[in-house]
Amino acid sequence: MRKNEPYLLLFPSFFLLFIFLAYPLLSSIMYAFQSYKLTAPNDIAFNGIENFKAVLMDNNFPLIMKNTIIWVVLTVGAQFVLGLILALALSRPFPLRNVYQAVVFLPWAVSSFVIGLTFRWFFNTEYGPVNDILLKLGIIHDKIYFLSDPKMALYSVIIAMAWTGIPFFAIMLLAAMQSIPHEIYEAAEMDGAGIISRFWNVTFSYIKQTILITLLLRTIWVFSSAELIYIMTTGGPANSSNTLASYMFMKAFASLNYGQAAAIGLFFMVLLLLFTFVFLRLTKFEKAGNL
Amino acid sequence: MNKKQRTLIVIVRFVVLLGYLLMVLAPFYWLFITSLKPKLEILTTNIQYWPKHITFDNYIYLFKTSNFAVFFKNSIILSLATGFFGTSLAVLGGYAMARFKFRGHKLVIYGLLLTQLIPGVLVLVPTIIMYSKLGLINTMGGLILFYTVGTIPFSLILMRSFFDRIPMDLEEAAWIDGCNKMQSLFKIILPLMVPGVIATFIFAFIGAWNDLFGAVMFISSDSLKTIPVGLNMFIHNYDIDWGVMTAGGIAATVPSLIMFAVVQRFVVEGMTDGAIKG
Repeated sequence: MRKNEPYLLLFPSFFLLFIFLAYPLLSSIMYAFQSYKLTAPNDIAFNGIENFKAVLMDNNFPLIMKNTIIWVVLTVGAQFVLGLILALALSRPFPLRNVYQAVVFLPWAVSSFVIGLTFRWFFNTEYGPVNDILLKLGIIHDKIYFLSDPKMALYSVIIAMAWTGIPFFAIMLLAAMQSIPHEIYEAAEMDGAGIISRFWNVTFSYIKQTILITLLLRTIWVFSSAELIYIMTTGGPANSSNTLASYMFMKAFASLNYGQAAAIGLFFMVLLLLFTFVFLRLTKFEKAGNL
Repeated sequence: MNKKQRTLIVIVRFVVLLGYLLMVLAPFYWLFITSLKPKLEILTTNIQYWPKHITFDNYIYLFKTSNFAVFFKNSIILSLATGFFGTSLAVLGGYAMARFKFRGHKLVIYGLLLTQLIPGVLVLVPTIIMYSKLGLINTMGGLILFYTVGTIPFSLILMRSFFDRIPMDLEEAAWIDGCNKMQSLFKIILPLMVPGVIATFIFAFIGAWNDLFGAVMFISSDSLKTIPVGLNMFIHNYDIDWGVMTAGGIAATVPSLIMFAVVQRFVVEGMTDGAIKG
């Protein structure tokens, strides 16, 4: 009885995970090798790698891959840099810091639906304030079609996405910074270390592990996130803002082609697994004893 | 550091903090003032940064004419239930992971981390098919189950790290006094873990409150729709009523804002711990 206790305690969680996560995942892997269209429900059969062929040979595929890379690199990069700056600014006490923190961390608590809606309205070409302010300040001379110009759409969604994720980085990095013993800074200062040297040799080396795990988690999350794209542009115009994740969502629920959608999903899960493996190896994460 | 340098740092920090505040608030501000404007003032190229005629018409329309009150109630039930079930499971499992050495311990942790690599969209289709076979489609219970399963991995990781912080001695003392493991868990440990339990609850609550895709896929009847789904229905018309939409956006945000503001500190602690320790 004693020996079985941990298993009993974990059983309900893992039972649910097996039935409602592992099983659907396995079925999805099966669908990837079937012709499975909701429009032809009686026509479901194995078709080998046809779905992968169809997806990878699609004319839009190179564009979507390129978008996915831009989307992940720019979003995660901006979130990290801005989040780090915010965490540094918050790392020393100041009056009303708690109130300030509650406000600037807000985007984290708001749904991507509301955020997508807000930015869609914010960037509205005719009635939105962004164009109006840029025009009045003389920064631009013609209106920008943020969401309907194929050159702009992806970047507009990236701005919104970066905005929502800064608090997550800031929270993680701030908490890591707060665990740095204060004496170390004092010692560094006594040794005559300047601001940059103290940041690099003390702060940065202490929070490195947190930075790495946060970057990894965020990359995975941003990679698979499709909601903002769906709400702001539905991947358009002409796929110019589609990423693998949003493309897969459209395939499943607009074209109702489950087989191809599953193939895309499987393809990008393998990419994520590879990325995670390489990332953990390159950063020697496990050696640090954090996992 | 000399005095000049210190002053410079203070100024830089102030500018950064102020700039950040503006950046966070600007979109919210725009959402908020739009919801208070009459239609004519919303659709004008002569943009008003402060509404000239404040009106609550958009909110009145939202709650009286549309089904929004129903959506709101559904979202509340859904999120509370998800928070409750998710947290209960996490308390049990997190306790096991923190306090027992058992075979497969590492496997459990790696398994939970691996689930984070599964794109949600990928399991959506088979889940829908499975749900329709089980008769769970278009039911509140089914949706609660879906979100609860979604929160399990992260909640377990989070809860485990909270348990790790409570010294083992406390429990051992309770056992010597004759408590069994369950008694010591509920009488001694859980009361000390209120912040952790709250953080886990809020995490699950906000997740369910904010999700769009799951609810869109599983729910078709109007009486069961949640806020994001309800508002999403307005969006597909070519003519978006921005007044009503922004009012809906504000109303959808208030509950998670209140929750977040109250427990922000716990959430911050929880997030960090959970993720750093993996």
